[in-house]
Amino acid sequence: MDIIVILVIQLLLAVSPTFFGKHRNFGYFNAAGYLLSLIYSLCLALSIAKGVGVISLFNFFYIDALSAYFILTISLINFASSVYSIKYISGDVEEGEISASKAVKYYSLFNLFALSMYFVTVVNNLGMVWVAIEMTTLVSAFLVGFHNNKMSIEAAWKYIIICSAGITLALLGTILFYYTASRDGGVNSLNWTDMMSVARKMDPRMLKIAFLFIIVGYGTKAGLVPMHTWLPDAHSQSPAPISALLSGVLLKTAIYAILRYTAIINKCVAVHYSSNLFIFFGLLSLGISAGFILVQKDLKRLLAYSSVEHIGVIATGLGFGGAAGLYGALFHVFNHAVNKSLMFFGAGYVVKKYKTGDMNVIRGVMGTMPFIGTVLILGAFALGGSPPFSIFVSEIMVIIAGFRAGAYLPAVLALFFLAVIFGSLIYHFSRIVFGKRPQDMQVSACPFSMKFISVFLFIFICIMGFKMPWFFNKLLVSAGNIIRGV
Amino acid sequence: MHIDLFLFGIMAVTFAMVIAKRMSALINAFAAQSFFLFLVTLSLAVRSGHLDLYIVAVLLFLLKVLLIPYFLKRVVKKIKVKEDLGLFINPAVSVFLAMALTYMAYLFTVKFISIQGKIENSEFFVSLSVALIGMFIMVFRQKALAQIIGLMVMENGLFLSAASVSGGMPFFVEIAIFFDIFLCVIILGMFVYRINRIFTHIDVDKLTELKG
Repeated sequence: MDIIVILVIQLLLAVSPTFFGKHRNFGYFNAAGYLLSLIYSLCLALSIAKGVGVISLFNFFYIDALSAYFILTISLINFASSVYSIKYISGDVEEGEISASKAVKYYSLFNLFALSMYFVTVVNNLGMVWVAIEMTTLVSAFLVGFHNNKMSIEAAWKYIIICSAGITLALLGTILFYYTASRDGGVNSLNWTDMMSVARKMDPRMLKIAFLFIIVGYGTKAGLVPMHTWLPDAHSQSPAPISALLSGVLLKTAIYAILRYTAIINKCVAVHYSSNLFIFFGLLSLGISAGFILVQKDLKRLLAYSSVEHIGVIATGLGFGGAAGLYGALFHVFNHAVNKSLMFFGAGYVVKKYKTGDMNVIRGVMGTMPFIGTVLILGAFALGGSPPFSIFVSEIMVIIAGFRAGAYLPAVLALFFLAVIFGSLIYHFSRIVFGKRPQDMQVSACPFSMKFISVFLFIFICIMGFKMPWFFNKLLVSAGNIIRGV
Repeated sequence: MHIDLFLFGIMAVTFAMVIAKRMSALINAFAAQSFFLFLVTLSLAVRSGHLDLYIVAVLLFLLKVLLIPYFLKRVVKKIKVKEDLGLFINPAVSVFLAMALTYMAYLFTVKFISIQGKIENSEFFVSLSVALIGMFIMVFRQKALAQIIGLMVMENGLFLSAASVSGGMPFFVEIAIFFDIFLCVIILGMFVYRINRIFTHIDVDKLTELKG
C-alpha cells in the first residue's frame, strides 16, 4: 500500500500550489510533503528487502527490488531538491527575478514532474512506461524554458523535439517486443511480468532489432552519446533545483526503462548482444564527454557533460555485466544522483551571485561564499572519483568487473577517460573556487536550507562507499539478479 | 475491405508532404493522411468486430483529422509568419531521398519481419516508411511548425505499425498514447508562440545560441 500513499501524496502536492501556492511558507510545506514520500519509500524498500520481494496491485502496479531502488533514489533527490527550492525560489521572488505567480507555477510543475517520474517506476505495463516517460518530457519542458528568455526557449524546444523523436523510436521497439510476445509467446499483453514469463519463446532475431530501437530511443532520454545533444542545453538553462532533478533522476528513469527490456532480452538472446551495445554507447559517452569537459567554459554545461560521462559509466558497467558489474552500475546510479544534485545546488548559487556561468569570469568563490566554495571543491573531488567518496567505490567496481569479464581494452579505455575527466574537473573547479575574488563583490551568507541539504547529501557521499545499510545492499543484489534473470 | 487502397492513399499523401512547399499544404496533407489511417482502422474494426477498435478509430478521427490540424492552422494564422517552409533540400531531391527511405523500409520488412498475411506485411512496410519520412521532415525542414508535423507523421506511422503487427496495442495503452500525443502537440504549439514572440521568427536553424 505504501506505493499508493506515495502517489497520493504526490498528487496532492501537485494540486496544492493552485490553492496555497501564494502562501509565504509554501516551500516548507512542499518539502515536508517530499519528506513524507521519502519516509514511505524507505518503508517500501524495507518491506521489499525484508522478503516481500514483489508487490503487485490491480495487475497495474508492480514493484520489485529494481523499482524500489529507483523509487528510493527518486524520493531522496526530490526531497533534497524541494528543500533547496525553498530559499532559491523565494530569493528569486524577493529580488524580482520572477513574480509570485510564477513561483506558484514553478511548484505545480515541479510536483507534477516528480509525480510523472514516480509513475515510470511503478507501472507494470511497458506501454504505460512509455507514456509516463513522455509525460516527464512534456512537463519538464516548461521547467527548462522557465526563464522564458532566448536561450532557455531554445533549450526547451530542442529538448522536447529531440526527446519526443527519440522516444518515438522506443515506441517502435515496444511494438516489436509486443509483436513477438503475442505471436511467438502467445500473450496479448504489454505487462512486463507476462513478457518475462514467455521471454524464452520469443523470436531472438526480432528481439535484437527491437532492443536496438529501445536503446537508441530511451538512450536519447538517458543522454547516451550520440543522442545527448539536448542534454547540455536543457541542464544548463533550467533553474538549479530542476537541473538537479534532470541530472540526478530523470536520466535514471530512462535507464530504468532500458533495464526492464534488458531483463527480457537477456532471457532469450545470449547476453553479449546487449552487453556489447551497452559498452559501445557507454565508452562513446565517456570519450565524447571527456573532450567537452576538458574545453568547457560554462559551469552548468560542465556539470551537464559530467552527467553524460556518468551515464556512460553506468552503461559501461551494465555492459561488463556479471553480478559485480551490475551491482557497480546500479550503485553508481545512486551515487551520481546524490553527488550531481549537490554540485548543481552549489553551482546554482554561484551563477546567481556572479550573474554568469562563464568559468573565465567566476573567481574566488571561496572568498565570496565560503560554504559553497567548500561544497564545490569537495564535490568536484567526489564527482571525479577520488578515493574516500562513494563514486570511487562504484567506479572501481565497474572497472574490476570489466577486467574480470575479460574486456581489457574497454576497461582500460574507461579508466583513461575517467582519468582525463578527473583532471579537468579539478582544474576547472580549483580555478573558480580559489583565486582572487572580485573586489566589488560582498561576502554573502549561505541560507540554512542550502547548508542543511548539502550536509545531508554529503553524508551519503562519504559513508555509502564504506558501509551501506543492509536493505540497500539487498536491493542492489536482487535488482542485479532481476536483470540477469537468475 | 479496401485496405490496400487506403494504404496506397497513405503513401501518396506522405509523398505529397515531402514536396509540399507551404505550411497550409503540409497541414492539409497531414489531415488527409490521418483520414486514410482512420479508414484503415475502421476496416480493421469492421473485420474483427472489436468495440475497442471502433472507439480508437473515432478518437483518431476526432484528434488527428479534426482537432490537431485545426489547432495547427490557428497557430499559423496567429503568428503571421511567411507561409513557406524553407526547404533545406529542393523537392526533387527530397522525393528521391523519400523513395530511398521507402525502399529501405521495404527491405527491412521483407528481411526481418516475416508477418503472415500479405496485407499485414504491406501495412507494416507502409507504416515504417511513413515513420522514416516523418523523421526526414523533422530533420530537413526549417520551420518549428514543420517539425511538429514531422513528429505527428512519425506517430501516425507507428500507430499503423502497431495495428498491422498485432491488431493494435492494448486498449488503455492506446488511449493513453493518444492523450500524450495530443498534449505534446498543444505544448509544442505553445512553444512555437513563445519562439515567435521572443525571436520574431520560427526558423529552428537559426536557434544557435547554445553550443559547445
